Amino acid sequence: MTDVFKTFFNYVGIFYIIYMVGYASFLFLSVAVGSSMLYKLKRQNKLKNELSGEYYVPVSIIVPAYNEEVTIEASIHSLLALEYKLYEIIVVDDGSSDNTSKAVCDAFNMHIVNRPIQRKVYCRQEEEIYETYEYKVPITLIKKKNGGKADALNMGINAAKYPYFICMDADSVLQYDSLTKIVNPVLEEGNVIAVGGAVRPCNGAEIKDGRVISYRMPNKILPCMQVLEYDRSFLAARILFDKFNGSIIISGAFGLFKKSVVVDAGGYDVNTMGEDMELVVKLHVFCREHDIPYRIRYATDAICWTQAPEKLSDLCKQRRRWHIGLFQSMLEHRKMFMNFKYGLVGSISYLYFLIYELLSPYIEIFGIFTILLAFAVDLINVPFMILFFFIYVMYSAILSLTAFFSRIHTIDLKLAVTDVIKAVGLCVLEVSCLRFILAWTRSSAIIGYKNKKHSWGEIERKRIEFK
Amino acid sequence: MKVESIIYIYGAVCVSMIVFNIIYNILLKQNESSLKKRCEKIGKQVDIQLNAIKDSGKIQEKHLSYMQHRLRRINNLIAFEKVLKDAINNGKEKEVNKYISQIQPVILYLAMLYSHRENMQAGYFTYFLANYAAKKQMPIDSLQDILLSYVKKDNLYCRINALSALYNIGNTEHIITAIRAQDDGVIYINEKILTEGMLSFTGNHNELITTLWKNLNSFSEHTKLAVLNYIRFKTGSYKEEMLSIMLDETAEKEVRLSAIRYFGKYYYEPALKYILNFVSNNEPSKWEYATVAVAALEKYSGDDVIKALKKAIHSPNWYIRYQAAQSLDAQHLNYNALFDIINGSDRYAREMLTYRLESRKLQKAGCGKQ
Repeated sequence: MTDVFKTFFNYVGIFYIIYMVGYASFLFLSVAVGSSMLYKLKRQNKLKNELSGEYYVPVSIIVPAYNEEVTIEASIHSLLALEYKLYEIIVVDDGSSDNTSKAVCDAFNMHIVNRPIQRKVYCRQEEEIYETYEYKVPITLIKKKNGGKADALNMGINAAKYPYFICMDADSVLQYDSLTKIVNPVLEEGNVIAVGGAVRPCNGAEIKDGRVISYRMPNKILPCMQVLEYDRSFLAARILFDKFNGSIIISGAFGLFKKSVVVDAGGYDVNTMGEDMELVVKLHVFCREHDIPYRIRYATDAICWTQAPEKLSDLCKQRRRWHIGLFQSMLEHRKMFMNFKYGLVGSISYLYFLIYELLSPYIEIFGIFTILLAFAVDLINVPFMILFFFIYVMYSAILSLTAFFSRIHTIDLKLAVTDVIKAVGLCVLEVSCLRFILAWTRSSAIIGYKNKKHSWGEIERKRIEFK
Repeated sequence: MKVESIIYIYGAVCVSMIVFNIIYNILLKQNESSLKKRCEKIGKQVDIQLNAIKDSGKIQEKHLSYMQHRLRRINNLIAFEKVLKDAINNGKEKEVNKYISQIQPVILYLAMLYSHRENMQAGYFTYFLANYAAKKQMPIDSLQDILLSYVKKDNLYCRINALSALYNIGNTEHIITAIRAQDDGVIYINEKILTEGMLSFTGNHNELITTLWKNLNSFSEHTKLAVLNYIRFKTGSYKEEMLSIMLDETAEKEVRLSAIRYFGKYYYEPALKYILNFVSNNEPSKWEYATVAVAALEKYSGDDVIKALKKAIHSPNWYIRYQAAQSLDAQHLNYNALFDIINGSDRYAREMLTYRLESRKLQKAGCGKQ
């Protein structure tokens, strides 16, 4: 019996070594590339190798909202403060059960209109449409039957007047120059069909007129750890994948898309929970199958501030949604896997997301069970295990810190000493504890996901302190 | 390789990453303070020269060799730009302009020097030229020749800034050469940026337009489009020429659409019947021509126009209906004239026009409040 266990543990050991070396190498490569890109951008910025803000393309900002009564007014005010020449704001109330529409109508003096909307992509019926021209850009509010976030975004696409649209969350705040920055890749290259923005937790930051007045690490532990996690994942995966046109995620919190291509590809999939990822994967598939030259870019300097969940239950809910979305998108477009017709997106990007995102919680939990089993049969080298775990924690923590400090240094944010201490301490906690809690959450996400396909991920909202 | 070795290698990597971070942070802080010192040093010298200009109208001879030596380093050039910016902000624009024109030998030397530097530094130098040194009708041809070499560089920003500097200088011949040079298919410059650039030209626009028009067919489609858009924004005296493009079935679609838009901005009676032909063409593949033509009709009046617009508002194409409602609204017709649509059986046409009328009211009210 011991021999059977030994053989089993040997194979498991080999698998985990390959898995961890692969992950460590990827993480190292992506953080190194991401970090050097940020420093290059800083130098580019210093040497004025950038487009001045005077060039623009007209943009429609779509704000899908569901029960956003508390935050919607501040969000729209933040959008009105953007420094950009030509844009419109479209708020789509997806059948909220609270007073989201009323809050918008009251705050912005909206008037009901009989506006015909062309159904370029599928979405549920509109109920009422309001408009106002009293502000620097037109605001449209569309009240529609509940159909989920993807459905609301599709309605926004149908109503958008301009050739490019931005999707964002109702509880997010765009930095004052974010539109200029996210549009720049479109002006720099002729075939850009989508651009992802950088999403950062706003917990702890004071924002005035879309500008960061002061930046502190959040007071609560959970959002603090998410700050580090966001930096690592944005800096790592997004920038590296951007290098070979392999980004398959543009966060739903802030992304720019060319409307005509999205419409031709069929718009957002209303049957998935991860509509943001699904759309990007769909765009890759569509363009490659139709031989359309295209680029999907990532703009590291186009910043959107979002509220990170402050409660563990909310965070788990959010991650469960993301994991289901990932699962659905990967399942839907499984034909891409190792299919050379789809280039490096089908091989590197798909493979990475399959192994290190979709399957990782199962692999990690399997690893923990294996350790427990090894304990039970007394076949574990405890000092080595502790050393290995220690190295893993240190390595991940240092890469998180590298990503975090690269971001802080390159955008000239000043941190207090206590924030640095907080970051150092919590990055260890994040990789050694939070990661495993979230792995457990994500691993159970797929159970019963089919019942949740139209639901909005509701987390407790706080009023955004937008001054 | 033993597992331990892998672990130690990755451990070493971790340590090197953190060392890199610390060193970079220190360098960044040093850079900030050294920029301050550089600004102070160069600022003192420039101040002396600005005062000399105030007193005698001339800078000191030795200053040229001092600057020539200093500005070879990119960090000093950055500091110099900051000094000039501060001087302008402090109300010394006149003196700065005189100063710049007197250090032209230095600028010429730097232009040669930076044209051989890496792209990012070359890009910065062209930014500096475009914003400070390249002024209207600058008499040095050699600088313009060097700028043309920057336009050919493999860096988007370098090209845009060099073009911008040339627009500031305002020499038509060099602009034509530069526009042709950027049209080499190596780096794409968006037509909006090209058009905006041409609009910022400080020389004689009529002369530029005439020369561009002569060379139009030698440009690629997107540069052609930028030129046509520039002409549309600048002058209404190219009606005949635009008409010929509009009617040229061999011309590219976007180019022809741009020509139709021209007649939406400038009224031209002979173009009307052709615009109406575009509107009445029901071929589905020609919907873009019909849409732009319907929008152009906003500028025209008469029974034929109203009849065509009323027909267009019943089009199965949403975009044509939308534009037709806009153009009909622009005709300022009374309720009776629009009665057949507002009370007609075509729900789509009715909704579109009603919405247009409502939205105009709101826009008017909004303009009043803003």
